[in-house]
Amino acid sequence: MSPKVISRLALGAYLLIFFGYLLGPLVVMSLTAFNSSGFPSVSPWACFTFEWFDVLFKDQRILNGIKNSIIIGIGTVIVSIAIGLSAALVLTQVWPKLRTTYYTIIIAPILIPGVVLGISTIVFWDRVSRLLGPSTDALFHNGIFLTILGQSTFIASYAMLIFVARLARFDPGLTEAALDLGATHTQAFRKILLPFMRPAIASAAVLAFLASFENYNTTTFTFGNYPTLTIELAQKVRYGINPSISSLAFIIVVLTVFGALAFEAYRRNTGNKERAKEGKAAPKSGGILPGFLRGNPAAVVLVLLCFTVITAVGTAQSYSPEQCKMDVRAAKQLEIDLRIEALEEKRRLRELGKTHEGPDIFGTPEVESEDKAPSSSGAFGDVFKDLEQGD
Amino acid sequence: MKKPMIFSEFFKNNGPVMGSILMVLVGFWIIVLIVLPQLSMLDFSFRFNLPPAELGGPKDNYTLKNYKQLVYGAAGSEGTYNTVDLMVFVRTIVTAIFVTIANIIMCYPLAYYLGQSKGTSFARLLVVMLIIPYWINEILRAFALRIIFGETGLINEVLTFLHLTAEPIDFIRQNYALYAGLGYAYILLMLFPMYNVIESLDRNQIEAARDMGASWIRIHRRIVIPHAKPGIASGATMVFMLSAGALAVPQVLGGPSSLWFTQLVYQWFNDSLNWQQGSAYAIVLLFSSIAIVLTLMRIFKVNMGDIGK
Amino acid sequence: MGAGVTVNLENVWIKFGDFVAVREANVNIKGGDFFSFLGPSGCGKTTILRAVSGFLDPSEGRVLIGGKDMAGIGPNKRPTALIFQNLALFPLMKIWENITFSMEVAGASAGDRRKRADELLDMIALSGQGDKFPSELSGGQKQRVAIARALCAEPDVLLLDEPLSALDLKLRQHMRTELREIQQRVGISFIYITHDQGEALTMSDSVAVMRAGIIDQIAGGHEIYDHPATPFVASFVGENNVFRGKLQSVNGNEAVIRTNRSGDLLAQITPTAVGKMKAGDDAMMFVRPEALALGEASPDSKTTISANVLNEEFEGNSYSVFLEGDGGKQIKMSLPNLGQDRESSKGSSLALHYDASTAVVMPAGELASE
Repeated sequence: MSPKVISRLALGAYLLIFFGYLLGPLVVMSLTAFNSSGFPSVSPWACFTFEWFDVLFKDQRILNGIKNSIIIGIGTVIVSIAIGLSAALVLTQVWPKLRTTYYTIIIAPILIPGVVLGISTIVFWDRVSRLLGPSTDALFHNGIFLTILGQSTFIASYAMLIFVARLARFDPGLTEAALDLGATHTQAFRKILLPFMRPAIASAAVLAFLASFENYNTTTFTFGNYPTLTIELAQKVRYGINPSISSLAFIIVVLTVFGALAFEAYRRNTGNKERAKEGKAAPKSGGILPGFLRGNPAAVVLVLLCFTVITAVGTAQSYSPEQCKMDVRAAKQLEIDLRIEALEEKRRLRELGKTHEGPDIFGTPEVESEDKAPSSSGAFGDVFKDLEQGD
Repeated sequence: MKKPMIFSEFFKNNGPVMGSILMVLVGFWIIVLIVLPQLSMLDFSFRFNLPPAELGGPKDNYTLKNYKQLVYGAAGSEGTYNTVDLMVFVRTIVTAIFVTIANIIMCYPLAYYLGQSKGTSFARLLVVMLIIPYWINEILRAFALRIIFGETGLINEVLTFLHLTAEPIDFIRQNYALYAGLGYAYILLMLFPMYNVIESLDRNQIEAARDMGASWIRIHRRIVIPHAKPGIASGATMVFMLSAGALAVPQVLGGPSSLWFTQLVYQWFNDSLNWQQGSAYAIVLLFSSIAIVLTLMRIFKVNMGDIGK
Repeated sequence: MGAGVTVNLENVWIKFGDFVAVREANVNIKGGDFFSFLGPSGCGKTTILRAVSGFLDPSEGRVLIGGKDMAGIGPNKRPTALIFQNLALFPLMKIWENITFSMEVAGASAGDRRKRADELLDMIALSGQGDKFPSELSGGQKQRVAIARALCAEPDVLLLDEPLSALDLKLRQHMRTELREIQQRVGISFIYITHDQGEALTMSDSVAVMRAGIIDQIAGGHEIYDHPATPFVASFVGENNVFRGKLQSVNGNEAVIRTNRSGDLLAQITPTAVGKMKAGDDAMMFVRPEALALGEASPDSKTTISANVLNEEFEGNSYSVFLEGDGGKQIKMSLPNLGQDRESSKGSSLALHYDASTAVVMPAGELASE
């Protein structure tokens, strides 16, 4: 083997490990959403099921959390975009000597621990409400109000960074030209700068919403009577877990994959368009669809993913629990056969005795197994390990 | 003389309406959202935890009691140190530093690889694949690791399957899951700043160095790493601050006997309802992590302006 | 279109901190004039333009447009329109929207705007191109759109900040004529900023030559070329041979300068310095390459310089002859190409003669750096 091959192999192994570490847990978690086992796990694999999605959609707390998350997310997007854009505009014209100080202040919220931001927000507004009297309590102790402000404190910094990057490419001569042609400053902002900033505002809005949606550290202090989805998830994860969280995670993973791919495709698309508008040669595309797909792996994967999801939804509708049960029964039969083989191993004998009741559990509908203590499935795990060995 | 001139210039450049809007929004952010809350938390940390009726009363004085609590433990146990909380604090900081170092080591090769093969569709696909976990809820990512590291989780299954271990290992109690989770949680905040700077490195520099017979190690030490320093510093700062201030990961993956410092803060606030005590702990966390970051930035000669790029 | 309106700068100083960008500028621009500010980059000419258009306020002095003091009036309220160096066409707007932007902000209906845009597009010979985007036009077309956009605002004064600098040579020459025609047609005052003397001389009624924040001379193109007021103007506008020395004698508007290397030479004193110079003053004399002719060698003549030919370059319509005078003095001479074959005079020793009325002498000063 030449050194080149070795280094290629090393690179491949490294990439595999890195992405395995990054994506593996998500894949495993997504899979557990379809296992009927009461504890989220992939092995032992009991029975393919969609029931955890039903459990999820009937969970009022989750649904309520989603509602609160969306309200807070929208509020945070509005507040942090307005602030971030203003801060970026001020940064471009602030007096050079003040620039570093100003930048340090507005970048600081990114570095301040979220816990600290949450605490300082409630402490401050608690004090404000004490100063202004009890009539303001309703607002200043309101979870939505506090969460939006607490989150916007640092999300505005992220938005600001996006805007600064975009503004660096803005020709201030355009604003001057507009003013010179009689526009007021407000008109120049609305008609010249804002259209130019639109793509950045769109990205910042998406980022701000996602950051708000997934925020935990700040929100956990500020949410009051309005727990967000993340707060509800944390409660569930901390006080006993079941695969309905996995099913939610699966939905979020799929949505994120969609979002990431759509965003990538959009970015490439607008990137080309903008390059064309700026007078640089735009790649000519023969036919709209092939052109869109060519050299755009994101788009290809997006299309494939659409197919997969459509098929999955289709199967989900035609999928009946009866069939599942039959599958399980068949699996059970196979299991018993294999266990007979395993009997030959003396060490396994005792274990087999312990798990004698096992098949009944798998045979009964999955809901029952939810009640079983998570540790009990450990024993079955060994059985399944043998199954795999047998194959 | 000079300051009013800047303001008048600012309003001339932006017009009265836009100028006022910008001023109000930025002022609101800096003063009402950033500075005043931090100051009021600082103020709060020096006060007694009093029932609402006594607030503003004669007992509402400043005190160092909340800080003494961290160092010496509850009043009455003077003379001895509050070893439990202090140990938690030290462990949090030390672990966060190790998590940061581990992330640098793990991310550097990938950042280099992606930065140097920018534009190829495989590299773009990798970047998209990186974005996906980036936008998945921190809680869910921790949850995913908990599934894997559980007593009957995938890793134990695989280990027993390979006969590497007879008994399932309790990764959670032994904090392996916590370390893995912290490393996992913010790894992309290390990768992306690194990737951005390495991407801007002119490939010719590397080729010129190679042409002159430099070894790969030397090329990295003399060319790539110095160029990537702002990105590494930016990523390291973020990862350290976020790890030290993490709450979700330790709550989900932490062992029952070992706490993270933020969990102490959380307990003071939400379980003991002693906000003053919690504020003091939060202040200690904030100042010590900022001090560590500033010290490291001074040692490695990195500017504040590099952060966030 | 608005009638010609005067623009006056009264004792204008513009400072940025300690840096003085414009020093004591006094300029009176007649209504309907094509007025140019000519100077090397960084001389403060764009700063003056920004003070006229209202993007910055003079630190001292007044800017008057049509006799009205413009202090405190913003760029969007002044009767000026500025054509930017990079044109600053709005990239996200169509051509017709660009042209009628001033009407849009004034609240005109889309129909009116469209109509006006079509008129202006006709005028700049871009009929039917209104729905394109700026990126789809060529450099010259963009140039014309920028002019139409400025004219659409019906300004009393049009300000142009080196608008031709991005174009190639051919197009630049064509646009010069076109700009001059447009100016004569609309009859408003144009204030034109350029570092290209050719542009300034061909188009302008008056030219102000600037150096490091100071206006050295304001005059017509001829006057500036033939009677430069300062060594800077003499060396910046057109090519010139410079002879340094001390004045030997002054006689009315003529003077003899004892040059450092080329002997005593006779020249006219530049009009602004007549009566202000006396024998013994440090002085500089300028003779243009085309004012030199081959002549008889006579040691007593005060209008003859002897030199050896170093090199010759054929320039098409003329020959440039590079000579070396006494003491290594570099001299350049331009001979018209009259069509007949010309023998190279390389290496030969010549006597160069000039008419005293074509040479100017003035107090010594700073030259334009090459």
